Amino acid sequence: MRRRVSPWQVAAVAVLVVLTVLYLFPFYWMVVTALKPLVEFYRFPPTLLPVHATVEPFLSVLFARGYLVLLRNSLVACLTAVAAGMVVAMLIAYPVTRFPVPLAFRRGLMNWVLSLRFLPPIVVVIPFFDIVRKLGLYDSLLSLVLLYTVFSLPLTTWMLRGFLLEVPMEIEEAALVDGAGRFYAFFKILLPQLAPALLATGVITFALAWSEFMFAFILSATPRSQTFPIGVASLVTQFEIIWNEMAAVGTIAAVVPILLLLFARRYVLVALTFGAVREKA
Amino acid sequence: MRHWTPYLLVAPPVVVLASLVIYPLLYNVSLSLRNYRTGEFVGLHNFARALDDPQFFASLRATAVYVSGTLVIEVLLGLALALLVHRTIRSGWARTLVYLLFLIPMVTPPIAAGVIARLIYTPTYGVLNVLLERVGLIRTDILWLSEPLTAMFAVISVDVWQWMPFVFLVCFAGLQAVPIDTAEAARVDGADGWRLFRHIEYPYLRSLLLLVMVFRFTDTFRVFDHVQVLTGGGPGATTEFLSLYLYLIAFKFFNLSYAAALSLFVLFVTSVAFSVLSRYLGREVSE
Repeated sequence: MRRRVSPWQVAAVAVLVVLTVLYLFPFYWMVVTALKPLVEFYRFPPTLLPVHATVEPFLSVLFARGYLVLLRNSLVACLTAVAAGMVVAMLIAYPVTRFPVPLAFRRGLMNWVLSLRFLPPIVVVIPFFDIVRKLGLYDSLLSLVLLYTVFSLPLTTWMLRGFLLEVPMEIEEAALVDGAGRFYAFFKILLPQLAPALLATGVITFALAWSEFMFAFILSATPRSQTFPIGVASLVTQFEIIWNEMAAVGTIAAVVPILLLLFARRYVLVALTFGAVREKA
Repeated sequence: MRHWTPYLLVAPPVVVLASLVIYPLLYNVSLSLRNYRTGEFVGLHNFARALDDPQFFASLRATAVYVSGTLVIEVLLGLALALLVHRTIRSGWARTLVYLLFLIPMVTPPIAAGVIARLIYTPTYGVLNVLLERVGLIRTDILWLSEPLTAMFAVISVDVWQWMPFVFLVCFAGLQAVPIDTAEAARVDGADGWRLFRHIEYPYLRSLLLLVMVFRFTDTFRVFDHVQVLTGGGPGATTEFLSLYLYLIAFKFFNLSYAAALSLFVLFVTSVAFSVLSRYLGREVSE
């Protein structure tokens, strides 16, 4: 039996097709530009597909320009921040969900952590810059790691709280009754249960730290501590833009979080709304 | 189990956080009350100075345009699209496809979005001018990033492109809570599309819309990344939003004290928005 197709359905499909183009074409254009030799980029009208496709722009930025170092910096800073953030967040989320603490304490603490999500980076970076310079930590990955850890906390803590609430307390209590310590119950019973959720949370916070720009822009000066987005920005704002190289770094910068978040896709919306929205896909 | 165990666990992270957040904020207050070069205490001088700073007010105006522009467009488009898809598209895989399509822009680093926007808006080689010329809408290149109006349009468009999907996904998820029977009954009773929205669907979306607007307001209010690489605040200072202006004062003119004073204003506005949200979320956390 065929259902009647309403004009609204036709409109909806048309709108979605247009949107698909609006969302995929810009990425396509960036990747294609990254694969063109510079001569071809300047050709008019522009070619929709690279005629002489080359990975030269990628190799040129990574090796000749030394962006491999920035890639490593980003990796080190983000991974460290994710790991540290996870531990700190667990130290907040676990007591709040597993112990009978007063409501006001729980609510106050969680709200305070959430408020960090709304703290404008520029407000933090101005004093941080001065402090970091006085401590001799200017242009060091450590200062970035500290900030990335702090700013990953709201998301991580709230995610962990949500996951912890979903694991029934009885599982641990059974172990406790059997004479196991709280330590054992946490590491051997609870943590394995949470592993997939922890992984997803880590992936999302990694992707967000990876995208961070302002802190790195202000607190780093040399390839010693510059992250990948800084490299991207310097190719976009230089006087004479090398278009295919700019597109190449843009592609690398975008591909990492996109791939990661397609992997953790179930949790992205939950994370970005701090658990207010649950969507499955 | 001793009753102080939870507080013992919470203590180290709270101390670390306090030293990394509260201390810098207090430091900021102290900065704002001083002359940065001499370190001398100047009271509220830096705050008073803001009142005589036409550039600050220009920046404030530009930010207001940017924030209201993006907020209105994103909410209206996202909401309309969510209603359209919710009411017409039933197939599960089509919905999943939309979900995935819309996750992509949200997780694209703003810097990469800036790169994409450059490739689109650049005169001569930008793909947008080529397209418009092909279709016959324009004869000569539009200098998108060098005219105040089109530059504002360009930076807003990037935000809308990245975050309209967020509004859509949140609203769409909210609509899934509307009981199908109720919606059907209303339709049978002759409710048109607007009434269906106003009386049946809107109540399920109200708090989510508030949430979305607070998130989008605070994020657009502090916008920096893609504007920095797309227009750098230009042409002139037409897209020099607050964060960019503060950056300029603090790190180009090196007046950290004045920047600190202005940043406290930014913090104040954001805090007001957050308190609206926390009142709402406070109820949610209370179970």
